[in-house]
Amino acid sequence: MRHTRSAVVAGIAVAALALVAGCSSSGGTASSSTDKVDLKFWMLTLEPSQKPIMDKIIADFEAANPGVTVTLEERAIDAHKEALRQVAGTNAGPDIYRYWEGPGLSGELISAGTSLDLASYYDKYKWNDRFTSAALAGITQYGGYNGVPFTLQGEALYYNKTLFSQAGITAPTTYDELIKDADALVAKGITPIEFGGTVNWHVMRLLDSLIETTCGAATADTLNTTQKGWDTEPCVTQAFTELKTWGDKYINTGFMGMSDADAQQLFYTGKAAMALEGTWFDGMLTDNGVNPDDIGIVPFPTGTDRLYGFGEALYIGKASAHPDQAAAFLDYFTSETAQKEASGAWAAMSVNKDVAPAATNPLDALWPTIFSNASGLYVNNDQNLSLDETTEYWRIQNSVLTGDIAPADAGAQFQKFVDSK
Amino acid sequence: MAIDMSGSRTVSDGRPGSARPARRQRRRRGQFVQALPYLLPAGVLYVWFLAYPMLDAVRLSFYSWSGFRTQAPTFVGWGNYTRLFTADPVFWTAFRNSVLWVGMSVLVPMTLSLVLALALNRRMFGRNLFRSVFYLPAVFASITVAAMWRWIYNPTVGTVNEVLSAAGLDSWTQQWLGNPRIALYAVFVAAIWQGVGFNMVLFLAGLQQVPTELVDAARVDGARGMQVFRHVTLPALRPTFVVVIILTIINSLKVFDLIVGMTGGGPAQSTQVLALWSWTQSFQNHNFGQGGAVATVLLIISMCLVVPYLAWALRGEDR
Repeated sequence: MRHTRSAVVAGIAVAALALVAGCSSSGGTASSSTDKVDLKFWMLTLEPSQKPIMDKIIADFEAANPGVTVTLEERAIDAHKEALRQVAGTNAGPDIYRYWEGPGLSGELISAGTSLDLASYYDKYKWNDRFTSAALAGITQYGGYNGVPFTLQGEALYYNKTLFSQAGITAPTTYDELIKDADALVAKGITPIEFGGTVNWHVMRLLDSLIETTCGAATADTLNTTQKGWDTEPCVTQAFTELKTWGDKYINTGFMGMSDADAQQLFYTGKAAMALEGTWFDGMLTDNGVNPDDIGIVPFPTGTDRLYGFGEALYIGKASAHPDQAAAFLDYFTSETAQKEASGAWAAMSVNKDVAPAATNPLDALWPTIFSNASGLYVNNDQNLSLDETTEYWRIQNSVLTGDIAPADAGAQFQKFVDSK
Repeated sequence: MAIDMSGSRTVSDGRPGSARPARRQRRRRGQFVQALPYLLPAGVLYVWFLAYPMLDAVRLSFYSWSGFRTQAPTFVGWGNYTRLFTADPVFWTAFRNSVLWVGMSVLVPMTLSLVLALALNRRMFGRNLFRSVFYLPAVFASITVAAMWRWIYNPTVGTVNEVLSAAGLDSWTQQWLGNPRIALYAVFVAAIWQGVGFNMVLFLAGLQQVPTELVDAARVDGARGMQVFRHVTLPALRPTFVVVIILTIINSLKVFDLIVGMTGGGPAQSTQVLALWSWTQSFQNHNFGQGGAVATVLLIISMCLVVPYLAWALRGEDR
């Protein structure tokens, strides 16, 4: 018995020594591996046309920075949002991540302390001189310099010229014309516009644009950014009434049970005449075999002269162990050289003011005029509202579309939710 | 130590006949102490990975917390529960759907499973093939099943609407997942398709335990098919029913991935269930207090449904 006990004690001692030795050994390995830096870069899933461009930019950066590698991790939109929220405040997060700007999205992560303020790098790399003022405004909106601009996306109505011609209509310049066009398309048996309802934010683009149309820029900004007046502004009821009309008459049949990807197929295959999409859609159209010459782009005719759109940025994680290398990568990514490589891949216009608009895709060439004609941007509401407000906004939007909430009650229900918090 | 009139030994309290139970109790206690070192590792894992997270979710339900490590939780007492029951626009829909889902799951797939098991328990050509075919959906991941059924229900190119149209029943075509009045039932059909095979296998196993001599004796006594089933087969299947009902209740209360994959809780939150709403509040809305409150309500409902039934069933086994 005594022998057994001694053996156990000796065993534990050996195991403890091995553990200590193991720790020292791993410490040695860690110290020897400090020369090599691997940057974790979290992106949204890349389109086939974007992947080789991203690979080339990363390869060029790695070649110019020996010992630094960049590991790309791609996720779908909702999975990307969720993954970032889950790792916030931990060391499991990425060194660099792509995210949408706005108080409801990046703002939330920034207030949770997930993003590094890059003010010193802005000085070091003179980034203030590199970006367009519109792109920089999205970065400095929270105070400080969180992230560098990645894209400035405009959203507008893409229309199929052949189907428009069959219906004898032209691109609308006013909301009334848009309704007349939609009626003409219906009369010809053509679905006017496609949306996928299961992802909520796809149909939200229509509701956001209708609020801008019926309320005007100033009231819409008050509603969306202060979340006040939803129960008192008559234009809110008007917007929800229009939304219901679109759902009943103009959007593809069964849209509430379809995803955005399923619905987009209708536009690719010429079964729907319009899609409310953004600059990223130029590449998606050609990737899906659509002839870009057959497509036109026109801003949603809100009557306010503002363009629907949003910005995206590349952020450095606050917990990143390699902020200098990450900043060097961002410097290269947004440089004239890399932005020319990426011309048109993520947006029609580069955030680097020295890079000319993309010319490879004929649709990209339409955007500079659209941007220059706009007096400003009105932003997607999931970027304006907090997360739980966004969930409720979507529930009310969908309930109006399914007839479970009357348009007249929609605004009041949303205000009640906001006030109950 | 005294001897009573019947000759049995008594313990020091002087109560007659209590010596044997006391000895049995001592023996059991000794066995438990001996088993303790073997139970301990599993016990520690159970507490760490199961009991602690469960209790922590309950604790969180009394706090307001965004889920970010950088932001400290704030104690709000019963605030999350008050909001849940009075101001949450989705909670009662999720509650009603969860209860409905449990009720439907106990009734429909279980009955179908029993019928299939009875049908495939007899000697017939292709019996094993049919058993495999009916069991096959149970091995698919729920998210795969969801993807398959999303296409089946697709309003423009889906099989269901195409078959209805081909049969001249255009008026019956529906937005199966887009109509809030039928979406939950449409998802439930997929759940039946996936779940019926597993219960069928359990019932088939149970049917093997039905004593053939009892069935034969009943037949000799003149009992017919339905009478044999009611008075012999059904009572013999009681232990199987216990397992199937408990598993069905547990699985139906935690239904999540099938709904996420098919509707995401929509349209307009009409297919929300408590498990999904708890997850949505926590991980999508970043409101871990509210999410914890929903999870606690779900935990209480689960306990209320499962524990009494389990206790009753286990007491039967002890006897």
